[in-house]
Amino acid sequence: MTKLNYSCLFLLFFVGLSHSLGAASEKSIVDEIKNAEDRFDNRSVPLVEQVVDEAVLAKEEYQGGSFRVLARKAKIERYKCSSCHTDKPVTAQQGALLTHGDIILEHGSEDQGLSCIDCHHPQDRDYLEDKKGRKIDFDHSYQLCGQCHFRQKRDWLGGAHGKRVVNWAGERTVYNCTTCHNPHSPRFEKRFPATYSVELD
Amino acid sequence: MSSKKIKNKEIRAASLLEKKSTRRNFLKGLSIAAAAGSAALTTGCIPAADAASTEELKLRWQEFFKKNYRLMTQEEKDATVARLERLSKLNANLDVQMGSYPPLDGVLYGYAFNITRCEGFMECVTACVKENNLDRKTNTQYIRIFEMEPGQLDPSTGDGQYYHEVPVDNKFYMGTQCFHCEKAPCTKACPTKATWKEPDGIVVVDYDWCIGCRYCQAACPYYGRRFNWGKPEIPKEEVTRRQHYLGNRIRPMGKMEKCTFCIQRTRKGRLPACVEACPTGARVFGNLLDPESEIRYVLKHKKVFRMKEELGTDPKFWYFID
Ligand code: SF4
Ligand code: SF4
Repeated sequence: MTKLNYSCLFLLFFVGLSHSLGAASEKSIVDEIKNAEDRFDNRSVPLVEQVVDEAVLAKEEYQGGSFRVLARKAKIERYKCSSCHTDKPVTAQQGALLTHGDIILEHGSEDQGLSCIDCHHPQDRDYLEDKKGRKIDFDHSYQLCGQCHFRQKRDWLGGAHGKRVVNWAGERTVYNCTTCHNPHSPRFEKRFPATYSVELD
Repeated sequence: MSSKKIKNKEIRAASLLEKKSTRRNFLKGLSIAAAAGSAALTTGCIPAADAASTEELKLRWQEFFKKNYRLMTQEEKDATVARLERLSKLNANLDVQMGSYPPLDGVLYGYAFNITRCEGFMECVTACVKENNLDRKTNTQYIRIFEMEPGQLDPSTGDGQYYHEVPVDNKFYMGTQCFHCEKAPCTKACPTKATWKEPDGIVVVDYDWCIGCRYCQAACPYYGRRFNWGKPEIPKEEVTRRQHYLGNRIRPMGKMEKCTFCIQRTRKGRLPACVEACPTGARVFGNLLDPESEIRYVLKHKKVFRMKEELGTDPKFWYFID
């Protein structure tokens, strides 16, 4: 019995030893990365390509400080909305032409989809409105989207959701929520892939 | 990585190359005997005497006796780049701007791929083909997207040749390319030291030093390397003209190619073509040594894993889930 115990201990000792030796020789890049804490000056990298799309300074910060987001208003065809949404009555003919009949609203859960004024400001049509009644600029829609999609927003601020524009270096400019997602039906549509692959040799 | 460490590494690499590089000496001896024939050898075909100008022959001759990229001085790099630009003009009437710019200080590139977000659209693949001047005839692609069954994490169980509407419900998509392993087995396998890891972590091939033996391909445990059986054929107007010697320049026939993290872009601060093209934001790229970079955020806050981590190749390519 004691003999068995001893041999067990012996075995354990060896297993432990070989394990620690193995670990010592296998220093992973992951450790090196974790220890890299010095600030890297992103702006020291000379860039050849500049962001040409209009971008605005974000109203929030990410881990590296301030950053920019692609502007939205310039992409909305008939902005400002208030140029149509006035107190004046609209004729039926104008209405047919100008209503947002082309919008397919598929946002929210199936049985309880969102309606226009869940996001749009009911009075001031040039703005959005969040659940707390704050006016939100179209260029900063992340402030609105983030109230439900808070996980995505956290990842977007950090850099795990969405993407940077053009450069990995230089001042951080990222895509806005609405650059990629159609706010009225945010899910990507199914489609054929851009290409196909052949067998590997 | 400190620059001093990098210097040391470079010096070590250089001395290693000088010692083992017998190919050069061998060829020098050979050249005296076969002086006339060797110019033709470099291109793999014998140019008709009147078609090839004396200028072209001279350039090819000089090209044939250049060193391994890692042993070249900056002047020598500039010279070969200038020759290649001129040859491209003479042969194909193509104006290319080739560079040999060095790694950036304090930068180690890394990549992360979000398997929850990728929907299999393959726009990364077409962008890569275009950017890197890949052969259109054989449909060469550095990136491969696998359609996967839920719960599976090994691409060999997936479908790498799907062509139908995507995303398919209940499947997920997993992209592979060269992972730029920190302990890259492919570089160790190369008998001519034609492939190595640069100080910024990019694993590159010196196409003019590669003899096409394909040992490196056999050594790669992933889906990293592609062998070209012919010189890439690309419609002239589609050629990407901003090139790098170690990157997307048009490779000669019979060479090993692979993803270079778009070295011609990334060393100028730009995102790789695949990252820029991805419509879902599934691809994250950046500097692993920058604690404020997006890639560091992913490594710190997301559930990440690497393919075949147990092999100890230490890839700088992580998969993550939302
Ligand atoms: S993925 Fe393959 S080709 Fe790329 S560095 Fe690793 S072993 Fe080499
Ligand atoms: S194919 Fe080229 S890079 Fe690969 S091992 Fe052979 S010589 Fe080296």
